[in-house]
Amino acid sequence: MFDIFNVPANIRFKDFDKKVYHLDNETYQLRYPILKTSDIKNIILEIKQNRLEYLSQLPISNVITIIDQAITRWTDPSYPQRQLALKLLPVITDYDAETIKLEIKRFIRLFRKKELFRFIENELPQSEILDDFHPQRSGSMVKAFGPEATFQVFSGNIPGLQIWSLIMTTLVKSASLGKTSFSEPLFPVLFTQTIAEIDPQLANCMAIIPWHGGTVSLERIATENTEATIVYGSNKTVQSIRPLVPMSKIFLHYGYKISFSMIGKEALTADLYTQTIKQAVEDVAIYDQQSCLSTQAIFVENHGVITPIMVAKMIAAELANYQTKRKRASLTIEQSSAINRERTKYQLENINGVSVQVFTSTQNTDWTVVYHASPGFSSSPLNRFVHVFQIDHLEDVNQYLKPYQAYLQSCAMAVSPTRLFTLANQLGEIGINRVSALGEITRAKPGWHHDGHFNLLDLLHFIDVEPNAEQMSEKYDPDVE
Amino acid sequence: MVKETQIMQQEILKYILDHKVSFSGDIKKQDKLFNRVALDLFDYQFHNNLPFKRYAQSQRKTPLVIKKWQDIPLMPIQGYKQLTLATTKIYDGEAVFLSSGTTDPNHRSHNYHPNFDIWDASMKFPFKQYVLPDRDEITILGLFPDETINPNSSLSRYVSKAIQFFGDTNSQTFVNKTGIEFYKVIKSLKQAEKEQRPVMLLGASFSYVHLLDFLKKHELQFNLPAGSRLFDTGGFKGLSRTITEQKLFQSIKNAFNIDRNQYINMYGMTEISSQCYDETLYDVYHRQQISYYKKFPAWVRVRILNPNTLQPVPDGQKGIVAYYDLANWHSCLAILTEDLGIKHGESFELLGRIGGAESKGCSIAIDQLLSVNQ
Repeated sequence: MFDIFNVPANIRFKDFDKKVYHLDNETYQLRYPILKTSDIKNIILEIKQNRLEYLSQLPISNVITIIDQAITRWTDPSYPQRQLALKLLPVITDYDAETIKLEIKRFIRLFRKKELFRFIENELPQSEILDDFHPQRSGSMVKAFGPEATFQVFSGNIPGLQIWSLIMTTLVKSASLGKTSFSEPLFPVLFTQTIAEIDPQLANCMAIIPWHGGTVSLERIATENTEATIVYGSNKTVQSIRPLVPMSKIFLHYGYKISFSMIGKEALTADLYTQTIKQAVEDVAIYDQQSCLSTQAIFVENHGVITPIMVAKMIAAELANYQTKRKRASLTIEQSSAINRERTKYQLENINGVSVQVFTSTQNTDWTVVYHASPGFSSSPLNRFVHVFQIDHLEDVNQYLKPYQAYLQSCAMAVSPTRLFTLANQLGEIGINRVSALGEITRAKPGWHHDGHFNLLDLLHFIDVEPNAEQMSEKYDPDVE
Repeated sequence: MVKETQIMQQEILKYILDHKVSFSGDIKKQDKLFNRVALDLFDYQFHNNLPFKRYAQSQRKTPLVIKKWQDIPLMPIQGYKQLTLATTKIYDGEAVFLSSGTTDPNHRSHNYHPNFDIWDASMKFPFKQYVLPDRDEITILGLFPDETINPNSSLSRYVSKAIQFFGDTNSQTFVNKTGIEFYKVIKSLKQAEKEQRPVMLLGASFSYVHLLDFLKKHELQFNLPAGSRLFDTGGFKGLSRTITEQKLFQSIKNAFNIDRNQYINMYGMTEISSQCYDETLYDVYHRQQISYYKKFPAWVRVRILNPNTLQPVPDGQKGIVAYYDLANWHSCLAILTEDLGIKHGESFELLGRIGGAESKGCSIAIDQLLSVNQ
């Protein structure tokens, strides 16, 4: 029996439900409370009170140190919480166990002390502005305040991703109410347990609880009683929460996104192409494209040693290899059918004389590569289904990306230094907000302007004390000469 | 029409007339005959329809290597949208059925019919067996436009033929270009109630949603005589609102005095040329244990496939409906539908259309993108 919730010590629940998972010969029961609106109200009151008494007074350097200590525990392979995560997450999410192990290890390191400073100093002139008034260039003394409490709706697509948001809200000294998805309710609970081991008072400013998304009564109470709401997930989720958030409060959302890759001819030379192919496949295979950072389409430039069609075929072969090493998750009927539908669409186009070729795993939906002999752009039904578009010059991509502008996010690039910034500039024009190396697209870096926005600034408000107020106050100093 | 085409049609028509109804008894024995006609038909379709031939070849399936009907390549529904699937040259004014295009209005399925000899035979016998097992005709009140209003709808033709073959003189459809003529429906129901004459309401699932709403709003109820029945097709899922099955039957009972056991659902679609029915009414009138599952006629086979491997799943497990229909002689006999079903012995249960896939998080899947852009 394991609890997939973590709330301040004073909060008690009466009724519980559970999810049961089987692994080898063991049975795991994941217990969670059946919530009433009054529970949510009480939790928020409690975490706000704890924040007022503790977190709001805690110097930012201490907050950073506590998070860093928690991260350090997670970098230890024998740490029990980590072992539990690596054991249960593959069962809960059905993602390949090796992938989870590797990606969690990489992900957790994003939040070491030095990286937390990167997050902060990327957006604030100095971190101490979160503790006290500090003079700014304008002359004013300024202090930054985070929300008293932030309601966070986590998605379940990527294990562990929830703590990005949890850490950001903690850095702005906000209490956190995190609603987890039943697709992945585990990681934030384990992480807040670690925080509790180091500093129970800080952990008492956080509450992590799963419930079924779309339970309006609970979500309304949560949005109305907190000062900020952050939603991760589909547009459907965003649209269901947005109307519940009062106008005067902060509402941030991270919805639908599409990412893609660009391979320049210079990465397709005789000595480099094998590596290039492997990297391109990483971007497609890790977490089965369920991350919004995952590549859905690849532009491959002509005039390399290897032609785009050969690249498509080699990507297919590499996806087949990858499947033997790291299996794709099993799919729902809807997901498999979506893949079959898209495969069919392009197979039929091929019969109609459109220059498209479809390469697939045999007898199942494990992987699919659709090669397009004329440039264009298309999104994928996900789960290791990628489009390869041949293109004469990568510099021409914008015209194909334009219709998808609202959804574009990251681009993985393998191009020469002379082209990198020209291309990045061009992509920035139409709203792409991140360029990574090929093979690294699923691993965002500390301080990244998530979806083009700030991580901390959007949660903060500032107070400016103007110099004249200071000067005036000096007059009233009884000891003034 | 070339001789080969005529011979093929005769072979299928003979098969239908020999069986007339659903098979009973030894399916293995009958399978042998079905297999022979199916392979002949596959060979015919392969050689007379270039897009189909190419598709079969892309699946590495040709008449030379296929020996069992189960191995005949399945044409996905999408094929009827993207390809021209016809084994004879399409002539000017040839009848064609179009799908309603609810998922993608720009791409509608096309199923061409140079003649209706086989279609009509395939419609008549199962209708008699499963819809009217107890009588030869009935008052049919159609809630779906007939073929004069909707000449490109297979369901409209079906409604017209049902009335022509099985309707008494009081039968008619009650739909004009603006919708269901509720007042006329009510007048006919009242008349039938007064004369104690059983009626059959016939419509698509959504027609009933509207009719039931209308009756409720006007506080109208009918005490239709025994033998009255309610026929529907389509599905209530994905309509303006979702209704639980139980609630639906209760409101049907309240509105018309028609029991659950007098309700029959038909499974058919633009892309095929035969229909499958619930066995309910047949069982009731033959005083046997009542089943709510569907039976297919002798010239049809249904398999339920795993959506990942497209291999058959065991009885009782959910999967995609693959539909093999000898009556679909002019296009493709084996169709991969987009419907979800469960096999129960020689019957099957229909669970409705497979929904769009959604990703678990912020990564947008193509199905979602389509719905966003609509």
